[in-house]
Amino acid sequence: MGYAINFGQVFEYLPYLAGGAWLSLQIAFLAFCGGLVLGLLGAFAKTFGGPILRRIANAYVVFFTNTPQLVQIYFLFFALPEAGILLSSYVAVLIGMTLNAGAYLTEIQRAGFSSVRQTEMEAAETLGMSRWQQVRYVIVPHIARVLFPPLSNHYILMTLGTSMAAIFGVEELTGRALNVNSETFRSIEVFTITGVMYILVTLIASAILGIAGRALFRAKMRIV
Amino acid sequence: MFDRILEEAPRFFTYYNLIFLGGALLTTFLLTAFGCLLGFLFGFLMAVARGTTGWLLFPIRALAFLITESFRRIPFLVTLFIVFYAFRGTGISWSIFWVALVAVVVIASSFIAEIIRAGLESVHRNQWDAAAAMNMSTIQALRHVILPQAWKVILPPAFSFFVLFIKDTALASQIGLVELTFAGKVLNNRGFSAALVFGTILILYFILSYPMTRFGVWLEARFATSRHR
Repeated sequence: MGYAINFGQVFEYLPYLAGGAWLSLQIAFLAFCGGLVLGLLGAFAKTFGGPILRRIANAYVVFFTNTPQLVQIYFLFFALPEAGILLSSYVAVLIGMTLNAGAYLTEIQRAGFSSVRQTEMEAAETLGMSRWQQVRYVIVPHIARVLFPPLSNHYILMTLGTSMAAIFGVEELTGRALNVNSETFRSIEVFTITGVMYILVTLIASAILGIAGRALFRAKMRIV
Repeated sequence: MFDRILEEAPRFFTYYNLIFLGGALLTTFLLTAFGCLLGFLFGFLMAVARGTTGWLLFPIRALAFLITESFRRIPFLVTLFIVFYAFRGTGISWSIFWVALVAVVVIASSFIAEIIRAGLESVHRNQWDAAAAMNMSTIQALRHVILPQAWKVILPPAFSFFVLFIKDTALASQIGLVELTFAGKVLNNRGFSAALVFGTILILYFILSYPMTRFGVWLEARFATSRHR
């Protein structure tokens, strides 16, 4: 009883926390890019691959989307050393998030691929487009427009997901909040401010993505 | 690594360890199920609150807007810490399961509120006007006109959110709730091979989550066809 809220002490740590937010964004960006490449490979394998390749991609997606990211990283961080592979916490988190993102992005990109209709390709052929022109003027604009909103949505979710790195001792936003918490013991204030910083960071990110999506791909998306 | 797993496996899969893991699996499931059921309830209230009109109800509308928009942008881990320390600060000594449940309900209700809002908005505005013309109150219109049409749009994504959240509750291990992930850490600390322990935990999560994912896919396919009929 009688917890007095006092934000003053925590405000001194704002620059420190902001530095953590920057690291969060970096982790999210790196893992997202890695996941995008993995997801592209997975989506290609699922759409155009033979039965074996398709099975492998399917097993990868099903396993990683049905188990928690946290336990996956636990496995990388604690179990791989038994096989002689030592990963630093930062690398383990990055690999874990990339693998996990790859599975989700495989599904998203596969859905994007299958949204191009056969008739669309036939129409392009009728116009006398070469194979390269079909890719350049029909497939890519279509897929980019369809994929951009769900991809940016997943990017925002991944920014929130980076808070998991704190558990392994990476000093991103949540990790630094834990540090400040153990220095000041102003727990409620620290985590409230951290929450507000996450809101601001993701709001800015969605605003940028929303404007970019509308300007570049004429994607139908809600800004913020 | 593999010979160590084989060597430890008989000692690991003993009766008491299996009971322990089973209980932890149940905790994970109950936390998610209760959290999402309550989240559905509060989410529904918030979705309806956001759909209200008139300046008298503005405070309710603003509050619902603030909760849904902010908690969807805060990581679950941070929400857990906020709720955990808020309980410690106010001196309410609930058991850790209920504390974790409150955090789950906060997050689940703000996400599900958006799902339900999208569902309610999928029913054409004219239906509300028609119900009003029949002299139905807001609640009657919801119950007899809007919900029978909207729930097919609401249920599949709400269910897939529930399946998604089974995995997110792994984070509740960080405030000390003995669910599946925490059970894994305990067994690992007892000296069992991490590959064996976390491999088992991954498989248990998979066993819990995979059938529900399949059910969700089935649900979606079924409702998608009936909607376009």
